[in-house]
Amino acid sequence: MRDRDLREWRTLIRERADREWRELSNDVVDELACHLAEVHAADVTGGASEADARARAFAVLNAASFLEVSKRPRARNMPTGYGHDLRFAIRQLRASPLVSAVAILSLALGIGANTAIFSLVNSLLLRPLPVEQPQQLVTLTNGSWTNPIWEQIRDRRELFDSAFAWSGTRFNLASGGEAEFVDGIWASGRLFETLGVHAILGRTFTTDDDRRGGGPDGPVAVISYDFWQRRFGGAADVLGRTLNIERSPFTVIGVTPPGFFGPEVGRTFDIAIPLGTEPILRGRGSWLDERSSWWLSIMARLRPDQSLDAANAALRAAQPSIRDTTAPGWNNYIPEPFTLASAATGESQLRRRYERPLIVVLTIVALVLVIACANIANLLLARTTARHHEFSVRRALGASRWRLARQLVAESAVLSTAGAVAGVVVARWGSQFLVQQISTRTDRVFLDLSLDARVLAFTIGVTIATTLLFGVVPALRVAASEPMDAIKEHGRSLAARRGGLSGSLVVAQVALSLVLVVAAMLFVRTFTSLANLDLGFNRDGVLVVKVNAERTERPPSAAVSTGIERVDQRPVFGRVLERVRMLPGVVEAGLSTITPVSGQGWNTFVDVSNTPRLDGRQALTFRNAITPRWFAALGMHLVAGRTFTDADRKGAPLVVIVNQAFVRRFLNGQDPIGHTVQRRVIFNRNRPDAPLPAPRDIVGVMADAVYSNVREPIPPTMFEPLAQREESLGAEMALIIRTAGPPMTDVRSIASAIRDVDADLAITFRPLADYVNASVARERIVAMLAGFFGGLALLLASLGLFGLTSYTVERRRAEIGIRMALGAAPRGVVGLVLSGIVTLVAIGVIVGASLSLWASRFVGALLYQVEARDPVTLITAAATLTAIAAIAAAVPAYHASRIDPATVLRESQA
Amino acid sequence: MEFGGAIREAKKGTAELVVLAFLEDEPRHGYELTQLIEARSGGALTFNFASLYATLYKLEERKWIQGRWVEKPGQRRRRYYKITAEGRSVLAAQRKEWGQFFELIRDLAGVEHA
Repeated sequence: MRDRDLREWRTLIRERADREWRELSNDVVDELACHLAEVHAADVTGGASEADARARAFAVLNAASFLEVSKRPRARNMPTGYGHDLRFAIRQLRASPLVSAVAILSLALGIGANTAIFSLVNSLLLRPLPVEQPQQLVTLTNGSWTNPIWEQIRDRRELFDSAFAWSGTRFNLASGGEAEFVDGIWASGRLFETLGVHAILGRTFTTDDDRRGGGPDGPVAVISYDFWQRRFGGAADVLGRTLNIERSPFTVIGVTPPGFFGPEVGRTFDIAIPLGTEPILRGRGSWLDERSSWWLSIMARLRPDQSLDAANAALRAAQPSIRDTTAPGWNNYIPEPFTLASAATGESQLRRRYERPLIVVLTIVALVLVIACANIANLLLARTTARHHEFSVRRALGASRWRLARQLVAESAVLSTAGAVAGVVVARWGSQFLVQQISTRTDRVFLDLSLDARVLAFTIGVTIATTLLFGVVPALRVAASEPMDAIKEHGRSLAARRGGLSGSLVVAQVALSLVLVVAAMLFVRTFTSLANLDLGFNRDGVLVVKVNAERTERPPSAAVSTGIERVDQRPVFGRVLERVRMLPGVVEAGLSTITPVSGQGWNTFVDVSNTPRLDGRQALTFRNAITPRWFAALGMHLVAGRTFTDADRKGAPLVVIVNQAFVRRFLNGQDPIGHTVQRRVIFNRNRPDAPLPAPRDIVGVMADAVYSNVREPIPPTMFEPLAQREESLGAEMALIIRTAGPPMTDVRSIASAIRDVDADLAITFRPLADYVNASVARERIVAMLAGFFGGLALLLASLGLFGLTSYTVERRRAEIGIRMALGAAPRGVVGLVLSGIVTLVAIGVIVGASLSLWASRFVGALLYQVEARDPVTLITAAATLTAIAAIAAAVPAYHASRIDPATVLRESQA
Repeated sequence: MEFGGAIREAKKGTAELVVLAFLEDEPRHGYELTQLIEARSGGALTFNFASLYATLYKLEERKWIQGRWVEKPGQRRRRYYKITAEGRSVLAAQRKEWGQFFELIRDLAGVEHA
């Protein structure tokens, strides 16, 4: 009881002292509390009621002034300092909730956006792979490699400590019907050994398991921790269970540790299986001996004493013999010297695509934060001015400049800390949202966004930087306040000084906003030109059905060995097409081996009759094999000649249709009809005496249409009738369907029609528009972020201007009143108020324009069909900014012109 | 009993003297001092409690008195102040000075010492 009383008195004393701006040491507070407790206790002992006793003790407390008590410059009376500063700061911020809320909200957005983007930068660019000694890892750069090349590198054990090859893919776990895809990797036997990753359950696979057709334990699979939890509920007896991958049984032999996502940053895996089991899934279509299937990434671990240069030299020394073994007699095979690069942060395709955009966006959000800080500095400056009297009184009472400045910095620190805490929440949500935005249905992006020391350090650093940015200026102003100001009328000196400082802040805001608005416009224009690009086909109302026949007409439980003969799947696909065409919602349908805009590609070197032979990659054309109504299903336009008909079947004259780009490249614009196309043959060890493909007649020209990627120029393309395709057919075909209604409405009837043909066909549905959108995902996300933050910058800058103008009007109220009393017209008053602002905005726009021109060099590569220094964009942005600035400043200026001179004059007399 | 303006002014200067005098015989704590002063002056002289402590701290700072927290069984923790040797000589000197001052006032203004 006694203790509780004491505690209560202590609190009350502190409260009172705070109100008097006094600091009391704990010792003094204790002694005073004891005194009050004695007063209270004595009264109670003397027969007073509890309430009366308390009232008397209160009276004693209230009659006291702590001014003298706290002035003792003694060791035991050191200012309790920072705790007091914080409590006081929180009270101050609560006293003006609107200002505080606006400040915290803008900081939460600013710090949150910075943290979100940085955590993406961190996980994509900075964070080392979560494996043993990641700094020893190197990767073979310049794209993908063939398995024969990999085998040559693998067999040269002296090159590295160890090495492995892998390829990311998706595995279908469904036994039939609609596919159930999981993320998978094929990997050579030493993947786990090289990375130093050990199974937390069971074992990882080794070179013994990586034999063609499977090792001593048959086909085995290692699963990730997440997949283990998700699919098996973390069951301990998962080892030995069977997973049907593409309907072939694989035995689960181990689970990898949580946090391990494989060698590629941006992707994760559910199931890893040895490269040697690839023929089990692909049968005769296996790529293991293909010299032109570039699908593997290669990573190696250097020996402890081996430098990157030494490893590069050793590998390059081996290159000629690798070339001779894999493609004898072919000089132009792997012409570029092998180059290794550090893979400490893993290998990443995502990184290549998003590195620059991320850094641009990080710069954008950093600038937004600076603009927000300028605004908050202005708000605080205004509040500091309002509190000037208070500060002068405190100075007069003996508070040092440093003491007052510290108080203000404490207020700023409380603001930015609150902003940072909310910002971390915004960042968690924001970074996940962004990852979702770059993920597509078939290409799931995985980034480890957990808060690590680096992200934490970044957020704390940003928070401290913002505190300094917006806290120091008002603090310096306060430090400059003189005790005597308290006595003078309203401290006009400080108020007058504030004007110039706010002006510089506004110039900075306008300049940075202009940079951001220009950037936003450039990125939005890039995206809209891509989104509205004439693709050469009609993306709307088209459904793409991927039909996979890998499992059909082959008993799933067949003893699998290498070299399985694949049954020619064409009859199945033909039946599927016939069946689907009969459905009521289907307008047109066609099959193709390549899906447009899906990133897939298939190309070959060709010669055209009666034209000069082209060299090197000039002779390369992209190709597709299609059924007759495919063009109609996509809504592509015929420019000359004819399209395919059912008559273009096997045995009929071989024909081909080309696009306009093909005509430009190979025929120099002349009429192609009647010319023939001859495919060049690439050396194939399996079929050294393969006959030269027969020439094909060009029978038609199609208008140019996007092939694999919207951003790339449309390449020369040739289309062959599917029925006349010479090479073995892949197991997967794209069924392009033009639907009567929205593309996804008839999915169910289409699925059941396909199952009717063969229940073993695996199918996935996706509207064509989705492929197009996925292809411009990067541009969309950059445009979205740049647009959002550009808008935010504009809003913040206009708020800043509005604030400054209102403040100017308020400060010059008396002057304006007098001028009006002396006959100044309202128009003149508006001009008077605006003249200063216009100068500031003009300076800001000029500085901003120069900054934009300078910064343009960094974004050029991300733009499409718009110049980084596009004058129209710059002028539009400047005009927009100026217009918004004018509105922001005009409102208070208009109010100034409505000032009643009589009222003002009365006020100033009072 | 209310004092007039002149006395109120004089009181301020005497606070130190009064506190030192009350500590002359034995160490006392702040509450005890307020009670004693109030009782001995018949309620005529009261200290605002914060001013009392301000005076105590000032005296302590000058090393005329020394404060010490004391905790006795069954009692609240209290800070006791004890007069130092220096404090005693200051007290003696001030007593003499004030005595001479009152003499002077009596002679000049005809005020009788109580």
